[in-house]
Amino acid sequence: MSLSLAAWLVLACPLTGMLTIALLGKKLSPRAAGTIGTAAIALAFVFAVITLIQLQALPSEARAATTSLWDLVNVDGVKIQLGLYVDPLSTFMILVVTGVSTLIHLYSVGYMQTDAGYVRYFSYLNFFVFSMLLLVLAGNLVLLIIGWAFVGAASYMLVSYWYRRDTATAAGIKAFVMNVVGDIGLVLGTLLLFKTMGVLDYGQLFSGAHAAFEKDAPELVIAMLLILVGAFAKSAQIPFQTWLPDAMEGPTPVSSLIHAATMVTAGVYLIGRLHVLFEWAPTAAAVGAIIGALTLLVAGSIGLVMTDLKRVIAYSTMSQIGYMIMGVSAAAYVGGFFHMMTHAFFKALLFMAAGSVISAMGGNQSLNNMSGFRKALPFTFVCFLAGGFALSAFPLFSGFFSKDTLLFEVGARGGWYWGLYVAGYVGAAFTVFYTWRMIYRAFWGEPCKEAQVVIESGHAYHPAEHTNPHTGNEDDPSTQEVEDSEVGFPGKEHKYAETTWQMRYAMIPLAILAVVAGVIQLPFGITDVLSSFLEPTFANTIVAYEPDQPGLEAFGLILSSVIAIVSLACAYWIWVRRPGTSAAIQARLPWLHRLFINKWYFDEFYSIFVVRPVIWIGRWAHDSFERVVINGALIGGTSGLVKAGSAAVRAVQTGLIRSYAAIVIGGLSVVLLYFLVRAL
Amino acid sequence: MSFSVAAAVPAAPYIDWAGLSPLLALLGGAIVALIVGLAGPRAIRTQVVPLVSLVTFAAAIGCVIALWGQSIVLIEGALQLDPLTLILMLVICGAGIISTLLAWRDQAADEIAHGEFFSLMLLGSAGMFVLVASRDLVTTFVGLELLSLPLYILCASRVRAERSLEAGLKYLIVGSVGSATVLYGFALLYGATGQTGYSEIAAAIASNGLATDPLFLTAVAMCTVGFAFKASLAPFHQWTPDVYEGAPTPVTAFMSVATKAAAFGVIIRLFDVALRPAAETWEPIWVAIALITMVVGNVGALRQPSMKRMLAYSSVAQAGYVLVGFVLVTDLGVQAICSYLILYSLGNLAAFAVVIARERETDEGDNISALRGLGSERPVLALVMTMAMLSLAGIPATAGFMAKLRLIEAAAAGDYAWLAAVLVILSVVSLAYYLPVVATIWRGETEPAADGAGGVPVLAGGAPDAEPGRAGWELTLIGAVLAIAVLVFGIIPQPVFNLVASAARGLGL
Repeated sequence: MSLSLAAWLVLACPLTGMLTIALLGKKLSPRAAGTIGTAAIALAFVFAVITLIQLQALPSEARAATTSLWDLVNVDGVKIQLGLYVDPLSTFMILVVTGVSTLIHLYSVGYMQTDAGYVRYFSYLNFFVFSMLLLVLAGNLVLLIIGWAFVGAASYMLVSYWYRRDTATAAGIKAFVMNVVGDIGLVLGTLLLFKTMGVLDYGQLFSGAHAAFEKDAPELVIAMLLILVGAFAKSAQIPFQTWLPDAMEGPTPVSSLIHAATMVTAGVYLIGRLHVLFEWAPTAAAVGAIIGALTLLVAGSIGLVMTDLKRVIAYSTMSQIGYMIMGVSAAAYVGGFFHMMTHAFFKALLFMAAGSVISAMGGNQSLNNMSGFRKALPFTFVCFLAGGFALSAFPLFSGFFSKDTLLFEVGARGGWYWGLYVAGYVGAAFTVFYTWRMIYRAFWGEPCKEAQVVIESGHAYHPAEHTNPHTGNEDDPSTQEVEDSEVGFPGKEHKYAETTWQMRYAMIPLAILAVVAGVIQLPFGITDVLSSFLEPTFANTIVAYEPDQPGLEAFGLILSSVIAIVSLACAYWIWVRRPGTSAAIQARLPWLHRLFINKWYFDEFYSIFVVRPVIWIGRWAHDSFERVVINGALIGGTSGLVKAGSAAVRAVQTGLIRSYAAIVIGGLSVVLLYFLVRAL
Repeated sequence: MSFSVAAAVPAAPYIDWAGLSPLLALLGGAIVALIVGLAGPRAIRTQVVPLVSLVTFAAAIGCVIALWGQSIVLIEGALQLDPLTLILMLVICGAGIISTLLAWRDQAADEIAHGEFFSLMLLGSAGMFVLVASRDLVTTFVGLELLSLPLYILCASRVRAERSLEAGLKYLIVGSVGSATVLYGFALLYGATGQTGYSEIAAAIASNGLATDPLFLTAVAMCTVGFAFKASLAPFHQWTPDVYEGAPTPVTAFMSVATKAAAFGVIIRLFDVALRPAAETWEPIWVAIALITMVVGNVGALRQPSMKRMLAYSSVAQAGYVLVGFVLVTDLGVQAICSYLILYSLGNLAAFAVVIARERETDEGDNISALRGLGSERPVLALVMTMAMLSLAGIPATAGFMAKLRLIEAAAAGDYAWLAAVLVILSVVSLAYYLPVVATIWRGETEPAADGAGGVPVLAGGAPDAEPGRAGWELTLIGAVLAIAVLVFGIIPQPVFNLVASAARGLGL
């Protein structure tokens, strides 16, 4: 099978799956829908592996293939193809996306078993993966934008999946609006590039950038900043991060998909993909790196105080994506994508384990109500530990190597990048604290009543009535809105990993990978699978691709180990040995806690400075401008014109042959007259 | 200085029988259909005759494929076989196959007798071949009449329906005016240039400086009007809605695709070859006709309760779009026209298939109300109609979009970007009559489904002898195949573009 055929098939599989499930709809049994959905993605993974094999068979300088089905536009020197760009980076991405997505689909088969919208769910899920693969494989910016917008639309559908929940539909809208802001940035940036360079496909963009622009030319910087807006919105970076925690309204496997394999990594991919342009516009790259560093700190600090289990993990994603954005913006490509891969493994795993815990809790997500699940859910506990160790970059776990590679490559650039390096290690301490806070509170201590039920009966706890955990007081289900168990989490039966084999088999490979995936790229060049694989993509980078400073590298590893072990010990002390400590700290620094728990007041800021003024302008425009100018003059005028034309055509259409013939003769006379007059 | 006597006696023209094979197949099939139609048993008449028609069209397509890529002049310059001819014949014979299936169990074929109905259809197609292949005024007119006369009869073939007879008569009378105009134009053209061959006419115009000659200009004006009439271009389109509505629906379907293709074939060849030296003179008139046609077609289609009338106006509008490709007088323009005719016909024929199905299933005829509740009752037909409407409206990911895109690209490349802009704006108006159809299909509920789940399952009525009131499986099948083609070519149109890449090779553009 040729390289390009394999790449197209990677794209075709989820599309076929989505169409099959969507078109057969209710004719399909839930089991069949789940099987088709999972098989489609698994097949895409197989083709991704074939793509990899074919790509590696090429000589390293030829490892960037463009394959086009046909020209979308080919006029006036503008040529846009329906084409794919297959190189090590996009191959790496499709492998991670399809691989992790397959496991998430498998997990969903078990987890969503009794949900009423099961079939709809899988067609959405396939569509999501298709959109992401389109984004990654796109051969030019136009196709990338299409995939980009599809991902936004898919996230809207999945976040609002339980559409009877008002909170879920609101969260979906928020995610969509934020994403559209990013889309606008991306489109404008693309247009700016196009205006100067006149091309849109990657090959020509990369080869022509140095000739078309001065280094750091204002026009290029503005274009790249606009593109960064797109990347920030998709990857939930400051100041476009507010949609991400709300997106936890979707089913837990969706959170896993959004956070691990798809969507939020799109921004990282985009910067890596366009690295030639970003390196030629260092100002824009610096903005990216600084925003990434800020996000990792802010998100980490919020993660410390959140009490909703899924939201803690959500903020940890934001923080980890901050690392990656910082990394790829600072030309730490290997570290950035290495961390993206390990993060995909352990973050998918953590969400799956969290889903299992939440099921056992009967839908309650508050850490305040959880404790002692260690004995009740031993398998989930081990998986959560594996993910937790990897996330907190505990020595020898996968996250340890990836995060250190990333920070080492950033630090090796010297100069002001040292600031980012320090921020990265401060963030690392935050990471350990919020990770272990979560683990200690959910799994240690005396079993809570839900855990007791699981231990005693072997079944998940079922509350008397289902409530929406995102309304009222999150700790007290009696204050929350009662909802129908048919639509809304988690269906009639609650599935957790210990009782559901699909969930277990999805988690086992991820747990193993979360522990050992670091071996592919060990420090000091012991192994360099990833860096040598990605090298053809980044061969044209103008900063050091693999810095050679063993001293710094060793320092980083030691520092990281110390931070991980010391912070873990502190966390143990705070949440297990002296459970009152955190409350005491909170009482000492009430303002800091308020700042963190209110997410640094970003939502309030937007409400005052964006949402309300926009609403006000909208009201005004609706009352004055739209009513008079748009509805009255433009629409009324146009439709009046069309109606009048329609009436005229009907009036002439008498049905009488003689009048038809008369018009033929009349028309002939006019044509003839015109010719003769012109000829004179 | 002595003239040979032998030269005065013309030698028998050399005839390349292989090159004529599509025409021979169609004519032979027409005769066979007529003879089989005289057979005694009703089963033979109703089943074998359509089969003969199908086989004939298939054979003609086979001949076209066998001749693919050739460029030859047949019968001493009377006909020219080139890529344009072959591409358009593909469209015409394809439409013939589909129309045969649509007419297979139709009332019309029954009323006029199957033998007559299908042999007239084959004769009309033969006329279309002559028309699109002709490179001589005389042959052109023969082709024109060979096409028109069978269609006059076909329109009136529901001899017991008043509307059908009215349509036939109207078409005959107004069509005769059109034919007379063309004939008059040809006579004057011969008078002005002294030639009947297309390339000879072009040479005469260029060498004699005829571009401002009043006689010549009168001829051009008459040809313009006459062919605008045949291609139903506004303001000479007025017969179209009346005839399309009154004619039996399979005939309407056939006319809307095949006749249109043939008419554009001859317009392209006559104007782009014979009258090209005077292109500067006739171009503005055709631009004006294109504009008027687009406006009138789109505006006229609004709020028509009859689906066939709406589709008639829509076909007028589509013809206006095609003209945009024509006025460019470029290679790209001709390619765009050919791909447009192919891609547009898919959605158009699919729409007619659904209309016919509903005519048979309900007693509301072709009224749009017959489609109400189709979505819950017949989901496959509903999807087909939806795809057809979206394609006709030119929504992305449908064949119609690609067809329009190709035209717009050609127009932009040919310095007629403003005309392309008009096309796009009027396409917006077209949404106002295509989308209500989609809305009616999916929104309108029929009375609560009495028979449980409501609706007939996919490919219902599998038996070929469906009882009256059943649409018949062939309609669903045709619709589904066409709808899938609409979707596939909406995403991967390259095969069609490759097919038409050589369309203009025989024109010397």
